[in-house]
Amino acid sequence: MSLLEIRDLSVEFPAGENTVKAVSHVFFNVREGETFGIIGESGSGKSVIGLALLRLLPANANISGAVLFHGQDLFSLRPSELRKIRGKCISLMPQNPAGALNPVLKNRLQIEEVFEERGIDKKEGMKKSLRLMKKLLLKDPEKLCDLYPHQLSGGMRQRLVACMSLSFEPELLIADEPTKGLDPEAKEGAVELFTKIKKEYGKTMLLITHDLDLALEVCDRIAVMYAGEIVELDKASKVLGTPLHPYTKGLVRAQPRNGLVPLSGQSPSRISLPEGCLFHERCRYSGIECFRKHPEMKNHKGGWIRCHFQSLQ
Amino acid sequence: MSLPVLAVNELAMSFGTLEVFRNVSFSVSRGETVGLFGKSGSGKTTIGKCIVGLERPTGGEIRVQGENILNMGKKEFRKLRPKIQMIFQHPETSLDPRMKAFENLIEPLKLHSGLKQEALLKRGEELAELTGLRPEHLARYPVQLSGGEIQRIVLARIMALSPDFIVADEPTSMLDVSVQAQILRLMQKLQRETGVSYLLISHDLEVLKKVCHRIAYLDNGTITSIENINRGVKI
Repeated sequence: MSLLEIRDLSVEFPAGENTVKAVSHVFFNVREGETFGIIGESGSGKSVIGLALLRLLPANANISGAVLFHGQDLFSLRPSELRKIRGKCISLMPQNPAGALNPVLKNRLQIEEVFEERGIDKKEGMKKSLRLMKKLLLKDPEKLCDLYPHQLSGGMRQRLVACMSLSFEPELLIADEPTKGLDPEAKEGAVELFTKIKKEYGKTMLLITHDLDLALEVCDRIAVMYAGEIVELDKASKVLGTPLHPYTKGLVRAQPRNGLVPLSGQSPSRISLPEGCLFHERCRYSGIECFRKHPEMKNHKGGWIRCHFQSLQ
Repeated sequence: MSLPVLAVNELAMSFGTLEVFRNVSFSVSRGETVGLFGKSGSGKTTIGKCIVGLERPTGGEIRVQGENILNMGKKEFRKLRPKIQMIFQHPETSLDPRMKAFENLIEPLKLHSGLKQEALLKRGEELAELTGLRPEHLARYPVQLSGGEIQRIVLARIMALSPDFIVADEPTSMLDVSVQAQILRLMQKLQRETGVSYLLISHDLEVLKKVCHRIAYLDNGTITSIENINRGVKI
């Protein structure tokens, strides 16, 4: 059963007289207990989806479509109703854990704040948090609480933010770029952390990342985004093991171990999108049809792909 | 045999009683890329900063074209400085946020080249082309550019001074996998065309093995080994 269903989600931002099309007609659903990954390069609209789900985008964003959580449309809720869902039912682990923590408050105070906001006894809350911190591979959590965020390493800060996001055992955890800027050891730690959250807590997760290794290791299914659209969606092992869409192929080939082959060109301007397929200017396989007609998502061997030449592979 | 572009001998650095590294020695020849691999906090960036004169080491010597820069006077070092450049890890703080990309790009030319306005603009455009920047990028402020676009501008700025040697401190760790490949390939192209040498600092061994001629491993405050990577002949 689907816990989360995104239906025809589009997000646009006004930019002077123009409009930036950040996300266009995105469809997907996340099943209960599943880890669903969204991958794609910076600016492809991944984070905008995560923020749109919780209605955390700036007020000038034009949002259309529907986001159903347990069948209830989050976009039609009143702010007071939404507050009951944020943090409790759906929690967000923001990008850049260093920026998510207050630099002038000790860690303990920041963890307590989460409970204070909800009117729950701070002591009880802290006990629960300390147990969680121990489980999530943090050594000596008591000592850690008496430090400031800058005294922790990048990996530790990430775990601390993970603990805070899991305080109320949310049904859905959205993690936005959890490995950006971390060194390889901390990245391995992040894989371990998410595997643990997934196995021990059976949480449903929406993982937004450009780290293909993390996505392959942790996700069950993956959606690949390019210029605000989903271009491929299937099981993680299929998308990253035998990619079908030329863009996904390009991403896989750009990994150092697969040859460090760069994709030529750059993503199109989101103010004036090209006609036809949005990827055709950078595509090695593009034909006349790709210049003329925008491809629709098509079912292909159990997955979904947005390409005129779905069988060229 | 010609002198190496850079030779670091028994470099040591301490902050107060905290020893960051000691006995660090390696050299870089013309057209060569040497990788410096180590964990976070191992002192990689500090070594890079010492080489470009942003930190003063507590011991050892740094020879550029045979001359020890630590014994140079300020004036003498300033003359040499355009020839040794550094790319920083965080693209978002590398450029002046109040200047448009093109102004940022031609700033070093204004300071060092002595070119007149027209020639300056022409050279700026050439550099933009060399690094794959499009005219629309040049009219934007840094905040309106992606990490990859900023690193291209940083490279164009650096190439404006025709450097012999570039310290690249994690130039792609904040970039996506596809953009990372573009920037590293661009750096290789610039090396083929100009013969510039790189010290590539990274904690990603896969990347280093793909682009370096040699890799120096920094562990426990000292270089434990230097590995030759079989990538054919260097320039």
